[in-house]
Amino acid sequence: MIADRIIEQGTLTTVDGRTAVEVRIPWYRALPGSCIAGAALTVDGVAAPAESLRWTMNERTFSFDELVDRTDEWWFPLDSAVLSGELAVDDPQAEHEVRVDLKLYIPYIITDHGVLHIEEHDTKTMKAAQR
Amino acid sequence: MTSPGTPIQGVTLYSFTRAFHARQYDLDSLIRKVAADGFGPGLEIIGFSSLRGFPDHIDDNFVGHFRDLVAEVDLVPTSLAVNVDTGLRRDRLMNHDELVEYMRKQIEVAARLGFPIARVQISLTPDAMESLLPVAEQYGVTLALEVHADQHGAHERILALRDRYEKLNSPLLGFTADWGATVTGFAPSLLEAYRRRGASEELLAQLVDLWNGFYAEGPPNTQKVHGERFGAFIGLAARNGRPDLGIDFAINGTGLFGPAPLDTWLEIMPWVRHVHGKFFGIDETGEEPSVPVRGLVRQLVENGYSGAISSEYEGWHWNNWQDPFDIIRGEQAVQRSAAADAGSTMVTDPAEARRILNSHLAQPVRG
Repeated sequence: MIADRIIEQGTLTTVDGRTAVEVRIPWYRALPGSCIAGAALTVDGVAAPAESLRWTMNERTFSFDELVDRTDEWWFPLDSAVLSGELAVDDPQAEHEVRVDLKLYIPYIITDHGVLHIEEHDTKTMKAAQR
Repeated sequence: MTSPGTPIQGVTLYSFTRAFHARQYDLDSLIRKVAADGFGPGLEIIGFSSLRGFPDHIDDNFVGHFRDLVAEVDLVPTSLAVNVDTGLRRDRLMNHDELVEYMRKQIEVAARLGFPIARVQISLTPDAMESLLPVAEQYGVTLALEVHADQHGAHERILALRDRYEKLNSPLLGFTADWGATVTGFAPSLLEAYRRRGASEELLAQLVDLWNGFYAEGPPNTQKVHGERFGAFIGLAARNGRPDLGIDFAINGTGLFGPAPLDTWLEIMPWVRHVHGKFFGIDETGEEPSVPVRGLVRQLVENGYSGAISSEYEGWHWNNWQDPFDIIRGEQAVQRSAAADAGSTMVTDPAEARRILNSHLAQPVRG
């Protein structure tokens, strides 16, 4: 839908082996945590291990296992969430290729194959801030 | 003979999703922009798009602020679009009681904000609509189930709802007619977007031929036929070496550009309480090239429809090179011209719009 806006330009940060980037919803309406079904964070072709990924929204941080039950915590279309994972990014002066993959369930579209899900991704190049 | 209808001009903020999402406007400034540019008087919003904390955390301060703002800029709230999120949980679909309560909370917000209509969606069965009638009565809100491609006015699921409405005989149960169900061509602006993604002219010509073939065959009356068409778009993309475009072709070709004839709306016309003036673009001649806006407005006028038409621009999905505000301005000019051609007028005066909308919604559906 608006996948080109998933990654917020210039928001890549890395500290002590964990790397994070701000992400926007590629959809027109709010979705709850239970519909944020998965993500991947890849920098310069190296993906953060899936079990290390964390999702922060509304100033609360969740693992993806924890998001499954969160029908009460919503990602509003104007808000940036933060996707982070264990990933070392060296050389902060260099440009890094950041890729984010998102899998979202669309809870009001029920198909013959179950609840519709969409898979969107975005790639942007930016420097990493080290904090 | 039915006296000519006088539809009320309006817009849904969904048309401006790209600008809102980009934080160019917040809710207040977007509402002010709608009023200042004359896109009203009708105002429709989507709860889950525009309202932070919807529906559980809409406090009285916000409600007061919203009502004051709408009054100040002299817009007329028409419909709050609410969502039937049956698939909210990962382990199972909502059960009947959970769904009724989920909808009740949203309908309550519609009433508090001053929207006389809540747009609901196709996942609601006739039984669910019957269960929601006491909720509609409690809050005085009309429930207008959206008839959206890939359904249409003569689809089996819609006719089942209509038959239940007829039995229940309440003015609070009806439909939102979405013009995307009765489209006459694959939107040229979407073809241009595919061109910009490297699709060949040969592929685009085949895409148009495939859609035109479905248009000639008529709309899908069952989910099975819908599924077969969905698959045909995916197959076309794959055969042409562009499998990456297949899902996009299929979703848009079946879910946005519904090929039903205009007269399918006559099956449900007495129950149409609200209209989504869905469209995809305005061409260099000032016309909508793939949605028969003139015929649709004429049909509403001739059938005595005096509810709101929310202009709903959906080309923003792919069109990032034209200004959505200019496009809405162009489409509403076509609507006004069409109403005049049909011997009537689009209502643009807020006071008259309030009076006519109240009368439209208070009438028995058979009235």
